[in-house]
Amino acid sequence: MIDDLKRLIDSRELLWAWTGRNIKARYQQSVLGWLWAILQPAAQVVIFTVIFTLFVPVNTGKTPYILFSYAALAPWAFLSSAIVDMSTSVVGNMSLVTKIYFPREVLPVSAMLARLMDLGVATGLLIVIMVYVKVPPYPLGWLFLPLVLITQILLVLGIGLASAAASVFYRDVQSVLSLVVQLWFYASPIIYPVSAVPERFRAPYFLNPMAGILEAYRDVLLYGRLPGTTFGVASAISVCVFLVGYWFFKRTEFVFADIV
Amino acid sequence: MPSESSFVERILKSLTRAQTDLAMTAVQFINVSKQYRLGVTRVSLPSMITDRIKRLRSPDIEHAAQAQRLWALQDVSFDLPPGECLALIGPNGAGKTTILRLLSNISKPSKGTVVTRGRMSALLELGAGFHPDLTGRENIYLNAAILGLRKQYVNRRFDEIVDFSGLEEFIDTPIKRYSSGMVVRLGFSVAACIQPDILLVDEVLAVGDAAFQQQCLSRIDQLVKSGTGIIFVSHNLYMVQAICTRALYLQHGRVQALGGVREAIDIYERDVHIQRALNAKHATQKETAGDGEVAITAVTVSGTSPTAEGGVLLSDAPATITVHYNSAIETGPVNASIFIKRSDGLTCCMIRTSSNGHRVFLRRGTGVLSVYLDRLQLITGSYEVHAYFLNESDSLPLTPTAARSEWFVVKGSTLGSPDNSGVYEPLAKWISE
Repeated sequence: MIDDLKRLIDSRELLWAWTGRNIKARYQQSVLGWLWAILQPAAQVVIFTVIFTLFVPVNTGKTPYILFSYAALAPWAFLSSAIVDMSTSVVGNMSLVTKIYFPREVLPVSAMLARLMDLGVATGLLIVIMVYVKVPPYPLGWLFLPLVLITQILLVLGIGLASAAASVFYRDVQSVLSLVVQLWFYASPIIYPVSAVPERFRAPYFLNPMAGILEAYRDVLLYGRLPGTTFGVASAISVCVFLVGYWFFKRTEFVFADIV
Repeated sequence: MPSESSFVERILKSLTRAQTDLAMTAVQFINVSKQYRLGVTRVSLPSMITDRIKRLRSPDIEHAAQAQRLWALQDVSFDLPPGECLALIGPNGAGKTTILRLLSNISKPSKGTVVTRGRMSALLELGAGFHPDLTGRENIYLNAAILGLRKQYVNRRFDEIVDFSGLEEFIDTPIKRYSSGMVVRLGFSVAACIQPDILLVDEVLAVGDAAFQQQCLSRIDQLVKSGTGIIFVSHNLYMVQAICTRALYLQHGRVQALGGVREAIDIYERDVHIQRALNAKHATQKETAGDGEVAITAVTVSGTSPTAEGGVLLSDAPATITVHYNSAIETGPVNASIFIKRSDGLTCCMIRTSSNGHRVFLRRGTGVLSVYLDRLQLITGSYEVHAYFLNESDSLPLTPTAARSEWFVVKGSTLGSPDNSGVYEPLAKWISE
């Protein structure tokens, strides 16, 4: 696996080129271009803010609901779009896969990187809201941001690589994924705070690595405190998911061209 | 001068090292086999349920999805030294593409080992990684990256690539606005401007115009001279002969012949002709049962030379083409047309009674019409004869389809160098003054 990673690093130029292709191709003939990276989570935030402050009030403490939900929605949008893009990345480029050899993980990984750029754009809006709401800055916590992001990326990579490979064998994977992502959204603390989850369900609740990751984002950005043990659990699970997903991908990649 | 001698020594050493490097093979296939699964390999849940129900009703019928297996390659061994061009020939489904896939590491052999040394480049499907929305320039970098090239390397050769493609004007246009020929040109330019150690070429030269093909061929020639090992797949045996020195003839995944390009092609063509003759026999049997009032029952080609052996005709000897027919009516004047076709379908010549000022009347019952050729004048290769009867004004065919002779082999007069190219051997006399 270390050899595989080395080979992937060797082909980083292809990785960048393919990522650039994904980004450029996505926004080539769209008027709004990269603004879509903001519009998608922003529209959701507006809806949720209207519902959960006016219709069904949700208690989010001192943090305004709009900031509370957007801090989780932006990373969530990255996760869901990246996983969906990754799962179709190999199947969608079969003509290439059956013709030329290159490390196959370039396809899903660059699909993820293209979505990571969207997260960067979406973060811009987050900063604007944070400044507007006057959240007290917490530089010590910001040191943890890369760690939280890397954990999330590993989780995304693990699921994305496995589903990219599995899609080659079974096209059901796409449908299953969209269903799972939909359910997963409600199983994660995005539109409601963790405090709304009954105490006795907390332990199984945090087996969902996204719960720990989203809480860590909020801790560091909004609440001015360091990530807790739930983030540790999420990291361990994410690393395992990544290793299993990558192993599965590498194990099956030479069969891709034979299956078609 | 000790320093100078050590310098010379160093150069000598590096030279010998380079030579041993060259002596190594670029590609080695050792007893390679590859198996594919055919048919229904995956079963969906709903079909499994309905299958179960069907089987409950009629248990004796086999409903199980049978995963058939096919050996795409069986026990294939060959090697390719640097600077050599090896052709893969054989009918569709013989395993040529499978070999290319194993070579480019896209899939793994089921048995045996594949060894490749050096940088590999593949001209399999030109522009396979192109994105229609990106410009020519962007696609050059993208395609080069897929082929494993560094950006700096492409920067240095960018002008050369664009030059070769002849698309300077359109380089910043999205390639979805290109014609298909332009896309192919761009693809070849990228792949060919790399200096690969091994180059795989799969039938790509069939696309593109004649000038472009010529450009590609001379580039391939240049690469061979600079030590690139090339594996060339094509159904155009004349192109294969022009480019390659050796050939591997495959059939049903097995090696039928491996050796000099001429010998391998001869064996391949002979097999093709046997197959075609079998098919043609079936076809003509059906056709002659048709309604035509005139039927050609046989077309034969015979040489008169005593050296002609085993159906081989000599180019510089006379030959006779004989048409046997069976007519239900007494006809007025007719035109008989005879075409000599080369194995790739090229019509080498047309012999017609009308153009030779000969009038033919077919009599009722069986009859024979022959044409005597003073010299066959064809180059080494295999040919067949097609014969027709038409009415006098050429407006109506009297025979429903062309009647074909069996395939016959012609040996050119230049026996020492059988790989003569062209179509015919004129009776030539040289004069120097």
